[in-house]
Amino acid sequence: MAEEGIKAIFEPKSVLLVGATGIKERPGVMSPAFFTSIVSNMSSSYKGKAHVLDVSGRLSGAIKSPKDVPKKQDLAVLTPPPELALKHIRKLVDRGVKAIVIPAGGYKKDQLEQLVRATVKRGVRVLGPNAAMGVLNTSNGLYTTFERGLMPRRGRVALISQDGGLGAAMLDWACFHGIGLSKFASLGDKVDVDEVDLLNYLAQDGDTGAICIYVEWIEEGRKFTEAIRETVKRKPVCILRGVGEGPERAEIFDAATKQAGAIRARDIEELFDIATALALQPPMRGDRVAVMSNAGGPAILAAGAIEREGLKLATLSNDVKKAINARYPGIDVTNPIDMTAGAGAEHYEFILERVLADPNVDGAMVMNMLKSCLLKPEDVEVVAKAARKSKEKPVVDVVVGGGDHVLVREVLRDKEIPTYDLPEKAARALRALHQYWQVLGRTKE
Amino acid sequence: MAAHKKVAEILSSIREQGRRKLLEHESKQVLAAWGIPTTRVELARDAAEAVRAARELKYPVVMKISSPDIIHKSDAGGVKVGLSSELEVHQAFKEIVDNARAYRPNAKILGVTVQEYVPHAREVIVGTLQDPTFGATVMFGLGGVWVEALKDVSFRLAPLTADDAREMISEIKGYPILAGVRGEPEADIDAIVDILQKAGQLAHEFPEIVEMDINPIFVFDRGKGAIAVDARIILKEGG
Repeated sequence: MAEEGIKAIFEPKSVLLVGATGIKERPGVMSPAFFTSIVSNMSSSYKGKAHVLDVSGRLSGAIKSPKDVPKKQDLAVLTPPPELALKHIRKLVDRGVKAIVIPAGGYKKDQLEQLVRATVKRGVRVLGPNAAMGVLNTSNGLYTTFERGLMPRRGRVALISQDGGLGAAMLDWACFHGIGLSKFASLGDKVDVDEVDLLNYLAQDGDTGAICIYVEWIEEGRKFTEAIRETVKRKPVCILRGVGEGPERAEIFDAATKQAGAIRARDIEELFDIATALALQPPMRGDRVAVMSNAGGPAILAAGAIEREGLKLATLSNDVKKAINARYPGIDVTNPIDMTAGAGAEHYEFILERVLADPNVDGAMVMNMLKSCLLKPEDVEVVAKAARKSKEKPVVDVVVGGGDHVLVREVLRDKEIPTYDLPEKAARALRALHQYWQVLGRTKE
Repeated sequence: MAAHKKVAEILSSIREQGRRKLLEHESKQVLAAWGIPTTRVELARDAAEAVRAARELKYPVVMKISSPDIIHKSDAGGVKVGLSSELEVHQAFKEIVDNARAYRPNAKILGVTVQEYVPHAREVIVGTLQDPTFGATVMFGLGGVWVEALKDVSFRLAPLTADDAREMISEIKGYPILAGVRGEPEADIDAIVDILQKAGQLAHEFPEIVEMDINPIFVFDRGKGAIAVDARIILKEGG
């Protein structure tokens, strides 16, 4: 059972958006424009019930005073600057708010103490202050972020960012690259809710298949590693670290999180590449990868990338080779399997099924080249079809290129097959899937 | 728990003397009490004591300056190896003390340690520290240039499982040197695993040990063990 207060942050039954339209712009704190942006974002995407409280009393249709707020709102999003927010916060807590998200920054030390006394000490969970990018939930449309157009498509990757600005950048990246997310939260100053709370919640979240964390500093290292240790028993955790306290501290952070079972990403691209695979595909039991491609060059690059990631090219069993050649005599069945430029949907389906059934193969990288080949984007649907028959072995798809990759990505969208535009990225994804298998093995001991 | 009590006693006696840096022979006493194999060592305050100690340990012996003010003993001309007679031990004592005085005239010299000689083997380093965020942490690396020039080290939080220890050994770039290159037999990895786990447990149970450096450890071929040849322990300030 997820803790009620944290659940209220992501799955509120009703939300109260609190702001002040009458105040002056204050860069770095929170401006009236940000408040109206959040109101607009929420009204266009949120499926649940939302109320708006404008303590300046100007916004038409908004509630004008905290005492008129309907009782027991699950979540309040608090955007006014600190002194104004603190003026109203007690009344909101009195009216039964369970959790508060504070995107606004600028809280001084004594104001933080005042905030904690009024909320956390009375059993209300607080995300922020300075949780600049707020909270997103793609399943109920919760969108407490002032930036427009950052709602990613629905998917199974959850993202936690300590930093708001980077959080927004990562959301933008995810939207642009068609990466599906389940939940997003920016943590900010962590006066209450921290990575540990979110890990505990997301570990239980049915919409989330893998968790990504961007982290800069951790207050209590051992609590963090313990939470990771527990979470990875259920789902993978990927970490992008921004610890800037010297190389040794960074190394200790990496070692500690690795020891706990987290998988490290070196950059944003790798973070999403591996998390998408981890969220959609089963872990890879061994290190033997089969590569099948309708063009030779991309497959050779793939073979190199697979070795650099510490994986091996599988040696196909004779039965599988014979079965493939019995139907397609012209195909070179030495891994990487060169299916030649004439390969269509039925080639892919037949061969991928055989390859995944081979006991010598732990996972497959399928390459579909559209240029200089006869393959059509819609043919690639069979990759998902064949992969579904083998639930225990992961499949990743690669279309080397730009526009061609997007075409195939859209065909495979919602079909649980991660697609990549370069074989190196797919190889990293397979390596992470194998790493997670090893992590699971260790947790069972 | 006998080991815990013994170590606690050693540490508190150091504290009582108003110190926080253990000398080599004291550090080795801690390791020995904790079950980490170390070269046997005796502190001799004069040449006659050195000769008696050498007789007990059997020749050849190694002798090293013992001074809280001299950390790099070799640089001070404070180390002599392969001493195989009473005469050599007698002379070595005098030379080591003279060298140390010349190197650092104001150094407080407690004497010279006489140590069991062990044949050279592959060298590794095991260290511990108390990380402000994560607490007791263990470090591993190969000796000498590998750590100093290449920073080829790995870390894990204590306490360590045997798998953690194995992983931190195989993670370093210099691992093939332990696994054996060019027909050389594998080093005794199990013995390193044991030392890593014990060092981690020590740092975990005694957070006041803010720094421990077991450097070098000689690792013999598989099945033949490993032994700490030098060690340094530093306690928390104020304690």
